[in-house]
Amino acid sequence: MVEMKIKSSICPGCSVGCGLYLLESEEGEEREIKILHRKNSAVNEGKLCKFGTDLHTYYEREVLNNSVEGEEVKQEEAIREAKERLGSIKPDELAFIALPSTITNEEILSFVSLASEFGCENVSFGFERFFREIPEEASYIIEKGLSFSEVEKATKIILFFLDPFVHYPLLARRILKAKKNGARVIEVSFAKNERGIADETVLVEPKGIERIKEKKELFEDSLIIGELTPYMNSQFLELMLWINASTTSRLFLLKPFLNSTGAFLLGGNRNGKEARKRKDLFEILGGIEGGEIKALYLLETDLAGAMHGSEELFETISKLDLLIEQNAFRTPLSDVANITICSEPFFMKKGTLVNIEGRVIENGGESENNVQIMESMGKGRSYEEVHEEVKRRLGLAEISEFEIAVKREEKSFEMAEPKIEIEERKEEEGKEEYFLWYKTNPFFWNGIRAKNFVEISPAAMRKLGLFRGDEVEIVQGERKERMGFKISELPDYLILSEAKMSIKPLQGSLTRVEIRRAGE
Amino acid sequence: MSKYYLAWAKDEEIRKKGANGGFVTATLVSALENNFIDAALVVAKKSVYEGIPVLTSDPEVVKECAGSLHGAPINLTKYVVDYAAKKRIGLPTKPCDARGIIEQAKRRQVNLDNIFMIGLNCGGTLHPLRMREMAADFYELDPDSVVKEEIKEGKIFLVSEEEGGEEKEKWIKIDELEQKGYGRRDACKSCVTKIPTSADLACGNWGVPQGEKKTFVEVLTEKGEAILKNAIDSGYVDIEEAPGKGIEMRKKIEAGMQKLATSWKERMDEVSTLSRSGRFEFYVDALKNCIHCGACKEVCPVCACEADSKCLDMNDERDSYAISMYNMLRIFHLMDSCIHCGQCEDVCPVDIPLTLIQRRFSERMQRHLGYIPGMDVKEKPPLYETELRWSAEAE
Ligand SMILES: Cc1cc2nc3c(=O)[nH]c(=O)nc-3n(C[C@H](O)[C@H](O)[C@H](O)COP(=O)(O)OP(=O)(O)OC[C@H]3O[C@@H](n4cnc5c(N)ncnc54)[C@H](O)[C@@H]3O)c2cc1C
Ligand code: SF4
Repeated sequence: MVEMKIKSSICPGCSVGCGLYLLESEEGEEREIKILHRKNSAVNEGKLCKFGTDLHTYYEREVLNNSVEGEEVKQEEAIREAKERLGSIKPDELAFIALPSTITNEEILSFVSLASEFGCENVSFGFERFFREIPEEASYIIEKGLSFSEVEKATKIILFFLDPFVHYPLLARRILKAKKNGARVIEVSFAKNERGIADETVLVEPKGIERIKEKKELFEDSLIIGELTPYMNSQFLELMLWINASTTSRLFLLKPFLNSTGAFLLGGNRNGKEARKRKDLFEILGGIEGGEIKALYLLETDLAGAMHGSEELFETISKLDLLIEQNAFRTPLSDVANITICSEPFFMKKGTLVNIEGRVIENGGESENNVQIMESMGKGRSYEEVHEEVKRRLGLAEISEFEIAVKREEKSFEMAEPKIEIEERKEEEGKEEYFLWYKTNPFFWNGIRAKNFVEISPAAMRKLGLFRGDEVEIVQGERKERMGFKISELPDYLILSEAKMSIKPLQGSLTRVEIRRAGE
Repeated sequence: MSKYYLAWAKDEEIRKKGANGGFVTATLVSALENNFIDAALVVAKKSVYEGIPVLTSDPEVVKECAGSLHGAPINLTKYVVDYAAKKRIGLPTKPCDARGIIEQAKRRQVNLDNIFMIGLNCGGTLHPLRMREMAADFYELDPDSVVKEEIKEGKIFLVSEEEGGEEKEKWIKIDELEQKGYGRRDACKSCVTKIPTSADLACGNWGVPQGEKKTFVEVLTEKGEAILKNAIDSGYVDIEEAPGKGIEMRKKIEAGMQKLATSWKERMDEVSTLSRSGRFEFYVDALKNCIHCGACKEVCPVCACEADSKCLDMNDERDSYAISMYNMLRIFHLMDSCIHCGQCEDVCPVDIPLTLIQRRFSERMQRHLGYIPGMDVKEKPPLYETELRWSAEAE
């Protein structure tokens, strides 16, 4: 029998949540995956960015096995062992992390109830500290996004340190449509967008971010579009919220993980109340470092892939007594995990997700395995029971990708004027000062280096004596990265990188670095 | 060798489900049953807005896929190349499917001897999401209540299922919809190949006497004749000579549609009215937005290049050109072979008007070279580089 199976699925690359088809073809032993365009997808009309187009490589990674202390075991045994060991650790010494890219709403509920089964409150979806740092009434801006039709209808759009073509490529066409509809697009950025999407650019110097506060009138009646990532500097978020609170604007924050909205709404974060009590990703890592946290459960989260500098991460993780990893694919941490539990790849899963617009979208797979793994250690509910709870909690009678089911209501809130501090550094004589700005993107968060070059200004090229084909070395203390370079129209001191390097962003997505010609 | 028939499925279920006489489905089913082909590539209906290609050797699956989906603007070429290049297959082909397959055959990606192309005349496809909007805005229907659609006599008919199961039909003239920016995709509006003469058979409703549930079939090749004979001999299909009036009518409609397409082509070419610098600005403005996702190349039905293609190889993202080498090379590489099907534009994440851009370059070149891609497998693509590969292989 000849067969070609096509499933509808969703790209886990970012919170846009593009619909696609995944074609599995089998003939004899051979199995191949191909990504196809689903033109009836309400989110993206069948269009995909490079990450989505290349998604088959994401699924071609090495599969994780079920193991206990490196020994391959049956899944039931790995689960039994995990349950037993989790039960032997004090609740406040436990932590659960899930960066919700491939995690369905149903899995979010099972994950939270699994943690509570062991009395653990440290459940992180990557963003908890932000809830603590802002007024409760402003939590809705973190929790919920806006539909892209709102973007298309906007009359004035402010791109707040956001290059839509790079950060969220499928947002760019919505902004282009808004422009066609007559919108004025203004970018507030460290550098002018090379594609010239903005009608006006307000250039900001890293050391002068503060000064944007003086331009409040710029933001009146606008839709401000920015990004929230786990790395973001809290002061920067406060700045966005302060601008929003003190002008007649709306603020739309995109996020890197597909089901962030589902995680916020179902992970117990309503109005940020529970999130406030929890430790976030970095606080948990700090807790491990300090010896307060002894066991970590990672759900479909490639920590090494999402973070800068895996050496430090490995050192921190080595302090754990117990690391449990539940994932479909191996990650750099799989080798040091005490227990690994193999779950189904995302495209095979049955379940729902909430994209950044608030659409509840269904993944086209059939597997309930991941929910069952967690439920077998937790409350023991069936997939259907968990799914019904998702529907109840989200207030859904039916699920349709064509509806914006999770709507947000704009609220006013008070915000104290934030102070932005840029890290101080002693000027060393003769040393040029550069700032590195990471332009995050779907590859960035998935441990894939899609580009091997940074962008620098013509002035920097001249100063460094670079020629085509040369490489540069970016230096931050002990950390060094060798990269190719591209000349872009940038301020002299700015370096842009779409690739994640070991260099840590100390100020949100920005950090001071030195740069030199490689090999000198 | 053209012969014209009216044909229909003898199985009443197939005939009822079929778009016209159910001939295409019955022919594929009989070909599978008699081991004439290994598999059929058909389009499964998920809704009126969604069709999914299915490669199957199960005749029951083929039966389920009977009917035409105008809201499924897919091109089947790459499915043939990727999944059925070594199989004997039969498939329905719109003109752009057939043309893509012919171009792939010229590039040695498929063997035409193994492929039975049951051509479908094509007035055009609609983008599924535009069709939903059209249902809501113009037909005042809940898009999800639409259960059937049909295009005939210059009108788009939508049938909705009301509460209680009652069906209601509404229609609007295509012209009226298209004046308002709805209706068929731009690529289809300006496509002049309405009858797939490069397929083995060409099937459609043009020329069928009004009210008759039959398919008008033109036999174009010996292979077409063979698969038709197989269907008749095995008792799946009945035929009768097509009436002369029907043949005339079909020709007349084809000519009318081609005229309309030519006028759309002119109307939609926003570049032709621009000054020299305006044109330059247009191209830079559109192409600078490219994010190099590679989707246009991936879906292109005539592109036979793999990962080591020139457009990818010679493109260096460290270059700072406003129009990248990737785009430049694709434009030039497709000049002789672009069939203007619009698949690239459909999937472009930044909405570059690729159909128009490719057309502006390739149509002139194709006219100059006297070459229409996808029509005759014996005609080699004229660009030198392809010649070179051909002669190298011949040696
Ligand atoms: C988009 C489209 C536009 C058409 N426009 C015209 C027209 O203007 N004039 C005319 O005379 N005829 C047109 N036809 C052909 C006509 O609708 C019938 O398909 C044809 O007459 C055969 O009828 P049938 O009952 O024998 O086919 P059926 O037995 O119903 O078989 C039809 C086959 O086509 C496949 N199919 C359905 N949708 C598509 C698609 N989008 N792409 C590729 N294959 C598909 C089905 O899976 C099935 O296998 C069009 C067909 C399509 C798909
Ligand atoms: S990464 Fe985001 S924008 Fe790109 S295809 Fe996936 S969901 Fe869409």
